[in-house]
Amino acid sequence: MARFSSMRTPLAKVRGLGSAREGTEHFWRQRLTAVSNLFLTTFFVGLVLALQTGTYADVLATLGNPLVAILLIGMMISVSIHMRIGMQVIIEDYVHEEGWKVVALGANTFFTAFIAIASVFALLKIAFGA
Amino acid sequence: MAETHKTGTPSSFTVGGRAYTFTDHTFDVVVVGAGGAGLRAVVGASEAGLRTACITKVFPTRSHTVAAQGGISAALGNMGEDDWRWHMYDTVKGSDWLGDQDAIEYLCKNAPAAVYELEHWGVPFSRTEAGKIYQRPFGGMTTNYGEGRAQRTCAAADRTGHAILHTLYGQSLRYSAEFFIEYFAIDLIMEEGICRGVVALSMEDGTLHRFRAQKTVLATGGYGRAYFSCTSAHTCTGDGNAMVLRAGLPLQDMEFVQFHPTGIYGAGCLITEGSRGEGGYLTNSEGERFMERYAPSAKDLASRDVVSRAMTMEIREGRGVGKAKDHIYLHLDHLDPKILAERLPGISESAKIFAGVDVTREPIPVLPTVHYNMGGIPTNYYGEVLTKVNGDPDQVVPGLLAIGEAACVSVHGANRLGSNSLIDLVVFGRAAGARCAETVERGARLPDLPRDAGVNSLERLDHFRHAAGGTPVAELRLDMQRTMQNNCAVFRTGEVLEEGHQLIHKVWSGTDDVRVTDRSLIWNTDLVEALEYDNLIVQAVVTMDSAVNRQESRGAHAREDFPDRDDKDWMKHTLAFVDTNSRTVSIDYRPVHTYTMSNEIEYIAPKARVY
Amino acid sequence: MVQLTLPKNSKMTEGKVWPKPAGATKLKEYRIYRWDPEDDSNPRIDTYFVDLDDCGPMVLDGLIWIKNKIDPTLTFRRSCREGICGSCAMNIDGMNTLACTKGMDEVKGAVKIYPLPHMAVVKDLVPDLTTFYAQHRSIEPWLHTSTPAPETEWKQSREDREKLDGLYECILCACCTTSCPSYWWNGDRYLGPATLLQAYRWLIDSRDEATGDRLDNLEDPFRLYRCHTIMNCAQTCPKGLNPAKAIAEIKKMMVERRV
Repeated sequence: MARFSSMRTPLAKVRGLGSAREGTEHFWRQRLTAVSNLFLTTFFVGLVLALQTGTYADVLATLGNPLVAILLIGMMISVSIHMRIGMQVIIEDYVHEEGWKVVALGANTFFTAFIAIASVFALLKIAFGA
Repeated sequence: MAETHKTGTPSSFTVGGRAYTFTDHTFDVVVVGAGGAGLRAVVGASEAGLRTACITKVFPTRSHTVAAQGGISAALGNMGEDDWRWHMYDTVKGSDWLGDQDAIEYLCKNAPAAVYELEHWGVPFSRTEAGKIYQRPFGGMTTNYGEGRAQRTCAAADRTGHAILHTLYGQSLRYSAEFFIEYFAIDLIMEEGICRGVVALSMEDGTLHRFRAQKTVLATGGYGRAYFSCTSAHTCTGDGNAMVLRAGLPLQDMEFVQFHPTGIYGAGCLITEGSRGEGGYLTNSEGERFMERYAPSAKDLASRDVVSRAMTMEIREGRGVGKAKDHIYLHLDHLDPKILAERLPGISESAKIFAGVDVTREPIPVLPTVHYNMGGIPTNYYGEVLTKVNGDPDQVVPGLLAIGEAACVSVHGANRLGSNSLIDLVVFGRAAGARCAETVERGARLPDLPRDAGVNSLERLDHFRHAAGGTPVAELRLDMQRTMQNNCAVFRTGEVLEEGHQLIHKVWSGTDDVRVTDRSLIWNTDLVEALEYDNLIVQAVVTMDSAVNRQESRGAHAREDFPDRDDKDWMKHTLAFVDTNSRTVSIDYRPVHTYTMSNEIEYIAPKARVY
Repeated sequence: MVQLTLPKNSKMTEGKVWPKPAGATKLKEYRIYRWDPEDDSNPRIDTYFVDLDDCGPMVLDGLIWIKNKIDPTLTFRRSCREGICGSCAMNIDGMNTLACTKGMDEVKGAVKIYPLPHMAVVKDLVPDLTTFYAQHRSIEPWLHTSTPAPETEWKQSREDREKLDGLYECILCACCTTSCPSYWWNGDRYLGPATLLQAYRWLIDSRDEATGDRLDNLEDPFRLYRCHTIMNCAQTCPKGLNPAKAIAEIKKMMVERRV
């Protein structure tokens, strides 16, 4: 925050650029995705356990089931959003250099979006029988 | 944040062979001290658009107002009928007729408005079912001129001072007053009897600051630390009082030192009188509620001087409690734990920490402990400082005001009633702010200071900073505290006081041998404690000498050799002047104002004081 | 990035071991952080021995005893000595607390004292609290009303007044704020637990008419949402308050006003 020299008053420094008037959406979404993650990942873990003895064809068939596909797509979206928000908080906590912070936040978004898009694409491909 | 104003006065000086430079400041009003009274004056002056500075040696919310517990008195009548005239009667009687009745009328009449104002600023007062401010009974507070028991003390649980101080601090941030925090005021700048400002040391970086102002307001509090055992904070060293003495001005009624009946035995921490207001009582070693003998109608809620004397009598006659039979028990264990939790949570915690006592089960060991100084800088009810010149006892010192415990208006006379100090702070803090607004020209150009302005402060500072004697400050301070505790306590006799006079003057001359170890300038608390000790010792001396001089018993000043009040010869204020060079005290007097401010109440004539 | 080691000029060194008081039988060892801004040396740890027969029971009593009897240059803030002014906040035995209400007997072995963590040190145990105070000021800690004030008091029910309990008692000692790792990393933008507790004290005051504006001013990823419920604040508060809960309540209000 080297926007101004150190001769500003303490109050000016503390007020800084003012309130961003946001963060609540972020906070709320983190809680919502936490709840959905709880159910969706439980389902996912159960699914993996159930398919442990199955063959490749069994797995493909199960993932082709519309209900399973929808739930797994939901999970990937929910997890990616949650992951992005969580990582964003960590970056904001620990990366203080403005330039690096912007780069890290951007990379975080691209990375999580890529993960989400790629896995959704894969699931759809299986579901629609490639 | 220090900015230098160009003035025609030199700002660099060589003192003791060392160079010192002032940073100069010019304000309309400079307030020294940021307790309840100081902050209220800051709010008043800055709200009126005056360029206001507040110099304080501790961050405002650390001032000792924060420790006030029980409440603030005002005849709101929220808990039954009440009238400011009854409050006035109680205060006059509490003062043992040494209070100035015009000032007491001003106090009691303006009290309700001052409390409502605090409430509007956000003080979290406890509430009645009807949503009004909760009021509790307090010592010496009655209805109908002494007939019934009044509930007049407005309370925020038992943290009223804390609630008020934090609210006042918040309020003071609304306007653009400039705070100089952790600045230690050294001395006033006087020019031919006029106060032109004050000099202060910035503890953070050791720089010296010279403040020039149209009005300087001293709100520096009491000097409880002149005694060994007191409820006062370590910082209660009466710096303003001492500055006034060094400026050749008098202090008034310094012999009247209030002992609070219930300081925790050993630690000295305060247990509010509100604990007795809520139903607590005192017992001796026989389990007897002895106050019934000393004050048959008010009992445990008699005035503080009366209760403290009764406790001291019990201990002297061998009915004290504990191993050494040297203290008294305060019982709260019969009260409903829910009431204790709601109304007295703070002292329940203090009793646990400092006496290891669970108040719901055991009594608290207590002892009368130095608590408040009725005496101080004489002022009128506008807060303007007075001195006596050529027989005129009400001569105003231009440019100088004093408020709060530092001042002696005098509304408390020879003994202050509990909860009358917080109201004193805000009523007279407000009056001083208003007086400044009335008499100060906003942003006026001030004449240059005299060429040697502030040199007295530099000499004082340099003297202590390089003091290389053989006695550490702590040792001198302890000698002073022990002497005051032993020779100027609840009961006094001519003999003990005369001995005290000899001893305290000896300590005073011993100051020549003081040693300060820390030679640095940044946060040199060794130096600051030396300056504080130097402030305390002059006050201790005038306290002792005023006490030797007053040959009667009145309020907190109880002489065994003169057990009665003597209105004929002694219904007058003591004025004590000090010559710091020759280390001598001279005593003079001012008449008590035996008239009221308006015709809304008649003068309350002296009579026997029975509770 | 995060600095995980102390800068060179902040590395601690072993300081002076002051002689034991002559003739004392019950001793308590104090190990105290010392740093003098007027010389170039690194901070050091000085060792003192307090004569328990000649000294009060609290950690502060020991510090004052050392200053009076052994080393007058030892520097620390103190005032009320009864836990209400908040001056003597420091890190004792690994925990931020008030020296005046911490009993020496609560500390096993030597009493180790440092200034409040992660603040600039002015000298010895005196930290610079300027930013902390400015943060408190930034939340406008006074009652905001637009309705003309009544001739007497604003009415407030006992239930509404009770909501201020556990909040108004804060003494601004900064123990909580300086114990918060999130404040350590982002103290320039995160308001910290003490200030947020104070903010909630005004948000929940039934007499205040600016709740929305106050929330607007707090709604910020840094000012408010740096709180990660680490809970050090509630653990360390010498007055037994719970800033973490107050912050959670603010977050709840934020959600409440949009759902």
